[in-house]
Amino acid sequence: MTVFLIATLNFFIVQVLPGDPTRVLLPRGSSNVTQGGSDLRAQLTRQWGLDQPITTRYVLYFANLLQGNLGTTITYQKGGMPVAGVIAPRLSTTLVLVGLATAATMWLGLVLGRISGWRRGRPVDVSITMATLIGYSMPSFWVSLMLIYSLAFVVPVFPAFGVQSRNAATFDPLTQVLDQLYHYFLPVVTFVITNVAWFSLTLRNSLTDTLPEDYMLTAMAKGLTERQQLRKHAMPNARLPVLTASALYFGWVVSGAIVIEEVFNIPGLGQLTWDATRVRDFPLLSGVFLVATLGVVVANAIADLLYMYLDPRVREA
Amino acid sequence: MLLLLHDKLAVAGLIIILVFIFVSIAAPLLVGSYPTQFERTTALQPPSSAHPFGTDWQGFDVLKLVVYGGRVSLLIGFTSSLVAMLLGTTVGLVAGYYGRVTDQLLSRATDFFLVIPWLPFVLILVAILGSTLPTIIFAIAIVSWPTTARIIRSQVLTVKERQFIERARAVGSGNGFILRKHILPNVMPLVWAEAVLTISSAVFTEAFLSFFGLGWRGPGAVESWGQIANEAYTNLALLRGLWLYFAPPGIFITLVVLGFAMLGYGLEEVLNPALRRRR
Repeated sequence: MTVFLIATLNFFIVQVLPGDPTRVLLPRGSSNVTQGGSDLRAQLTRQWGLDQPITTRYVLYFANLLQGNLGTTITYQKGGMPVAGVIAPRLSTTLVLVGLATAATMWLGLVLGRISGWRRGRPVDVSITMATLIGYSMPSFWVSLMLIYSLAFVVPVFPAFGVQSRNAATFDPLTQVLDQLYHYFLPVVTFVITNVAWFSLTLRNSLTDTLPEDYMLTAMAKGLTERQQLRKHAMPNARLPVLTASALYFGWVVSGAIVIEEVFNIPGLGQLTWDATRVRDFPLLSGVFLVATLGVVVANAIADLLYMYLDPRVREA
Repeated sequence: MLLLLHDKLAVAGLIIILVFIFVSIAAPLLVGSYPTQFERTTALQPPSSAHPFGTDWQGFDVLKLVVYGGRVSLLIGFTSSLVAMLLGTTVGLVAGYYGRVTDQLLSRATDFFLVIPWLPFVLILVAILGSTLPTIIFAIAIVSWPTTARIIRSQVLTVKERQFIERARAVGSGNGFILRKHILPNVMPLVWAEAVLTISSAVFTEAFLSFFGLGWRGPGAVESWGQIANEAYTNLALLRGLWLYFAPPGIFITLVVLGFAMLGYGLEEVLNPALRRRR
């Protein structure tokens, strides 16, 4: 259902809003001035099916979509390349980046959130909360460029861009993997800095909600250590809202990936979004948007399944 | 409201915001008028006593641009938030009050807009509609309203069960009257808190939009912080070691976003009954 809505929205954004794809395809000035230009324009309109009524185009769009056909880009590699063909090879790169980054962000967020939730109101909590909030307020393009400036330019410790060294092909497989991880370090750090608040603050707040509950008093009364109280009684209840909050986080993952891939020159979907925006390639842009939204929907479905697994009440039922 | 003063975070946020609003309004007094084509000097100069942050790619004083940049960021932040509040509050009120099918439809729409990735969506909208001030404000508002709608809806659900609503209905008040005179005033405090949080996210969104080269263009346009950062990036300011060209806009974006977020969370904790227990 959501997928259907997204596809429809996607269609209407590109079709109904003002703007004419033939303008992008034709050289500037040739579209309405010269006689030859206007002929060319009519021909293009027919070729791209733009003269069909909107309902016909809508049905066609869905028929194509179901067959995995996202249309044809109008500029990429001199035009005429299918959108799906441009997107597919880049998807895996983005998934690796986003996967690594999410794992690191989630791990650090849960660790920090547990500390600050347990010690709420103390200096540790205040500094963790402030630090994550500041990180969350920083635009990722700025963080990544400042990291590149300081750690790849002033003090050249890390590579500034790319996913592997230039001579990576000569390395043995293990070194190649390590080399890639080395290149992914700064992008992942950027991601962690700007997104860790999602998990740390949610866990902190849900822990704060959990601690005054009666069962926590019982746990303390029966003589459990702090560690046992936290692990056996507080955390299982507190981590559920974190999963719910991750529904919004996934939308931000996409935005983070777009910026980070462009700045670090990682050939993934995000960089493609940037390129497509710059040259106003709407079929490509809407294809990327569709894939990104689908990714978010799938990620949310996985989070729902995890929720069922982690919540004993749902699991037993 | 006095409770707010006890919240150090919220007070700090408020101070940050007031400083930036003051600087934006007093910009002509502090740094003189906005640079015109006649004020060009050598492009990409390093910092000097005449130009503390150096000059930009067109030869304008970066300090001056940055001070004026706050005007655009704040203007877009405030107006987008206003539009988003009108939209979000209306949807939340109607969905929560009428319930049933209306609620189902509006809530699904809210969830839908809540989940879609905001950056590509805003990019597509502005790329198609063009980078004018109204379209940028509209595009940012479109991705900013759902959180408010959801929070207002759940608040309306509890308010409409209270006795004074039943009483109002008993003396013959119509739905529109009850919504305006009884329910809206009760959810209004939450709208304020959400408005402040939304300004924070709107300033943030505008920065990304501008960094992607889709900031405000056209006659009379003033460069926003995102645009300055974009120009510094595309002119390789960092590789030339001109970090004072690139760093300040980012720091100011962070401070403004943080200021509004701190004030907003503070307001929310004071005003939202569901969160008060945490204090």
